[in-house]
Amino acid sequence: MTDRITLDITRRGFLGTALGGAAALAAGPSWAAAKTLNILSHKVHETVLGTGDGDLMKEWKARNDTDLVFTTFDSNPLQDRLFREASLPSTDYGVGYIIDNRPTADIAKLFALLDDFLKSAPIENYDDIAPGLREAMTVGGKTIGIPVRHATGGLFYNEALLEEAGISAPPTTLEELIEQAKKLTFTAKDGTPVTGMIMASDLAVFPVSFARAFGGDYITKDFKLLPKPEAMEKALGVMANMFKDGALPRSYATTKNDDQVTWMQQGRAAFTMITFARYKQFNDPANSKFPGKIKAVQFPKSKSYDGEMSAVTESWGMSIPANFADKELAWSYIREVSSPRVTLGMAKNGNGPVRVSTYADAEFAAASPVAAAEAKALATARGAFPPFPEAARAQQLFLEDVQLAVLGRKTPAEAVENMVKRITPLLPA
Amino acid sequence: MRSRNIAQTLPLIAPVHILILSVIVIPSLFVIWLSITKSTYGQAPTFVGLENYFQVLSDPAFRSALWNTVVIVVFAVHIELAVGLLMALLFASGLPFRRFLLVAVLAPYAVSEVIAVVMWRYLFDPDAGPVTLALKGLGLPILDWAYEPSHAMILIGLLTIWLHLPFTFIILYAARLAIPADLYEAARIDGATPLQAFRRVTLPLLGPAIVVALLFRYIFAFRIFSEVWLLTGGGPARSTEVVAVYLYQEAFSYNAFGTAAATAWIMVVASLLLAAGYVLLLRRQVTANAQ
Repeated sequence: MTDRITLDITRRGFLGTALGGAAALAAGPSWAAAKTLNILSHKVHETVLGTGDGDLMKEWKARNDTDLVFTTFDSNPLQDRLFREASLPSTDYGVGYIIDNRPTADIAKLFALLDDFLKSAPIENYDDIAPGLREAMTVGGKTIGIPVRHATGGLFYNEALLEEAGISAPPTTLEELIEQAKKLTFTAKDGTPVTGMIMASDLAVFPVSFARAFGGDYITKDFKLLPKPEAMEKALGVMANMFKDGALPRSYATTKNDDQVTWMQQGRAAFTMITFARYKQFNDPANSKFPGKIKAVQFPKSKSYDGEMSAVTESWGMSIPANFADKELAWSYIREVSSPRVTLGMAKNGNGPVRVSTYADAEFAAASPVAAAEAKALATARGAFPPFPEAARAQQLFLEDVQLAVLGRKTPAEAVENMVKRITPLLPA
Repeated sequence: MRSRNIAQTLPLIAPVHILILSVIVIPSLFVIWLSITKSTYGQAPTFVGLENYFQVLSDPAFRSALWNTVVIVVFAVHIELAVGLLMALLFASGLPFRRFLLVAVLAPYAVSEVIAVVMWRYLFDPDAGPVTLALKGLGLPILDWAYEPSHAMILIGLLTIWLHLPFTFIILYAARLAIPADLYEAARIDGATPLQAFRRVTLPLLGPAIVVALLFRYIFAFRIFSEVWLLTGGGPARSTEVVAVYLYQEAFSYNAFGTAAATAWIMVVASLLLAAGYVLLLRRQVTANAQ
């Protein structure tokens, strides 16, 4: 007996084993699919397609012997990378997810026109996809993207906090919302300081929603800036008063989308405005202190406004970079993801469904208590602003004046006047 | 003979030259070309001469960003130098648990900038941050950085000092340790007070290290981005925007590559001008050492 460990490997043995192993691997069964389709998207687009047994693309992958490889980014870096890839002589990315307010005429040139594909290999029941969303993916009458997700804003409220403050129902008018938000700026029973409402300050969607509640807007589809300036002034006035009264957090000017989610989950804010698709996240027992208690309604309009309230929506479409070689494969993926079956499956996983029929599905309605409110909001929803080359710069200038007005450094009238002065030169002629 | 030597050595030095050409010279020339064109995605670049430079320099947002950058650079770098020097002298004078304290001082440099900013954002949250609550509890004024631009600038300055202090400290500490103890002994024998020893021995001998630390920090600090972008996003209302954030917005939010490239070159020139005094000082020191 010996406790020595010996390693008797000869050079010939080592080389023989290595070569044999390599040959076995080369001749053996293939573990990977024959093809790969690279996709540029937001993480959420990958997540809603599911994994494992719940993988909604499992059959498509087997049928096409293709693996899907997602490269994900946050919205702005994603659009930048997509446009960069599409500007190259060729790209390995077959599908790119594009936001509806980005494709200007110049950008549209970078993507394959999909009308011919729609004729040669149509998408199942294409007319079922909301017309407004389809229109948002056309530039100069030509289709460059197929809608896959919409993010329509709703008003979320924490029912438990409302009850604690003696409020029996969510607001039905903007005035009630303001009143309730002020009342809900208090210290909860568990000692948590609650702020009435939280909203990000780096997106146009919030001030635009307040302006629409008074019948106003930011930039219309036909590029009219502030069609009712007095409505924007009222909106900024309301927001400024909320900030002054503490019903918006002191950190308003640096609040981001993620903060809205965290604050609502922790019970630090009673109201927020965000896409309906966030319902699951707000009520996730693993992350939320109020699972099942955070509910949503349509963002209310002012009682002084008789017209129709349009929620702000943003939609995503799937596009094919014009410089991608295997467009048939990319189109096959898009067709599958756009099918009623996958649209419904994604909706159950938290995706804003682009098909009207999805909302009629009983199973989906049962799984998503906000489905009815979302469908109602979507019916009249429109984007915060249309795409044009200087849209991002215009939004930045707009938000700068909004912040100054909300923080009380400018009057709403001064802010509106400055918006007109600075944004007008950026609009398309 | 000489040409043969060059021919023989060329293959050996070529990799370095190729590297410098490919990662510095060619991209720089490309950026110069971009800066005199107007271009965006899906649009062929068109020559516009110096229009982008005029556009950037006449933009009030750029001038405000440049001013913010200069303020942060000048204040943060010099405060950082003073604190780094004090700490280097303290460590060199002998401290208990020196190794442990050294790790503690150098730790911020090992923290990712993104994580550091998220951490500070949480600590100084104006509504519920532990530091804010502690200051309120003690009856002290808080840093209302999400509302007051001056407070935001102070917080950005503090954060950048905390993050980069280890760099300045380690350069000065190493230089201080390199000063022979004999010189201090001689100074003591000559009757020098500790302050005189500092002025006549430490400071002159630390001079080159101080200039190097300052020069590097001036250049690095001028590129300040993540501290501002992740903490305030340049807000409230663009009041804390710095040049690198302005550049990022031009390039990646507005996709205006011409003005972004022009901003980049203005940034290079401005940072060199700001550091010019120290560059001259360094040159003088190098020349003096060579003689």
